[in-house]
Amino acid sequence: MIITHLIMLLVASILGLFFSYMAITEKDLLKAIAFSAGQGVAYSLIFYLLMAPDVVLAYIAVAVGIYSALLVFVVSKTTRYEEG
Amino acid sequence: MKRAVGFLVLFAAVVLGAATLVSLGVNPPQVGIRPLGRYYLENSYFGEPSPKSPEAVTAIVWDYRGLDTIYEVTVFFLAIMGGLAIFRLEKAEKKKSERPAELTLVVKLATKILAVLIIAVSASIALHGHLTPGGGFQGGTALAIAPLLILVAYSRYVLEEKGLTYIKAIIARSLSLVLILSVVLAPALYGYYLLQNQPFYPAEVSGQLVSGSLWFFNLFDYIAIGMGFTAIFLYLSIPEEVYKEELEAVKE
Repeated sequence: MIITHLIMLLVASILGLFFSYMAITEKDLLKAIAFSAGQGVAYSLIFYLLMAPDVVLAYIAVAVGIYSALLVFVVSKTTRYEEG
Repeated sequence: MKRAVGFLVLFAAVVLGAATLVSLGVNPPQVGIRPLGRYYLENSYFGEPSPKSPEAVTAIVWDYRGLDTIYEVTVFFLAIMGGLAIFRLEKAEKKKSERPAELTLVVKLATKILAVLIIAVSASIALHGHLTPGGGFQGGTALAIAPLLILVAYSRYVLEEKGLTYIKAIIARSLSLVLILSVVLAPALYGYYLLQNQPFYPAEVSGQLVSGSLWFFNLFDYIAIGMGFTAIFLYLSIPEEVYKEELEAVKE
């Protein structure tokens, strides 16, 4: 049975890696925030599979809700596109 | 195209690195429970002395390592105060005659239903923190999502008309911090240690398990974290024009 969990962990961590890479290389900051929220979802899946429900509850609310909202507010006070 | 190549290179590097580490036998998988983990699992409810909480994580966070959590709450308080020092307004904002554009009826109705559900779920996470996974911080962050949704779907003027200004959120937060500190200090006044839980606070109140001070810590931390994040959202959503007007008024 543990092999199922390991495969799910592998898929979730590859998703997290993909979303972090997209967030770093994206020039449109709003899209980068959306990718960062996707990375949060993948990581909370990892925490859940590693049997840490306490961390999941805090992480999903912070990474998807609060962190993204704070960054959207910050981007709204500057410019939307990264230069260079 | 360049990004796809970059990702493939990164992916190959991570897979190769992981395969090398596994084949070398670095950090083998954990089999069984470590002695320290076994101590917490066995003693968090049944041991003597114990915090009388079936949730070992909450017992560690607010009892065994309670002082760390108190400092963490203080650091978060300082962070919010730092933001307030930058974003505060000297005088109350002028009432705007025209309402900003609002979202469609579907979004507004869904937000109404979701906000009530989120508040109920967050209260359940926080107040059952000594029985099931969760606790004050987890519940508080979930609570902060409800005003955030209303802020996005309606506008911040709706929240302020209902009486939730950032000053009030800061006051609620400071009050719950004072209550946390009084729960910390109360045992010391009666000859126990600072932050002591068990012999001083009752484990059960009228047949319900409250795990001594853990329930009170969870409740006050829930309000403190939720109101703290709400205050941040409220003062971050003040439009830039308001600050520009105020700066010009200072110049004159």
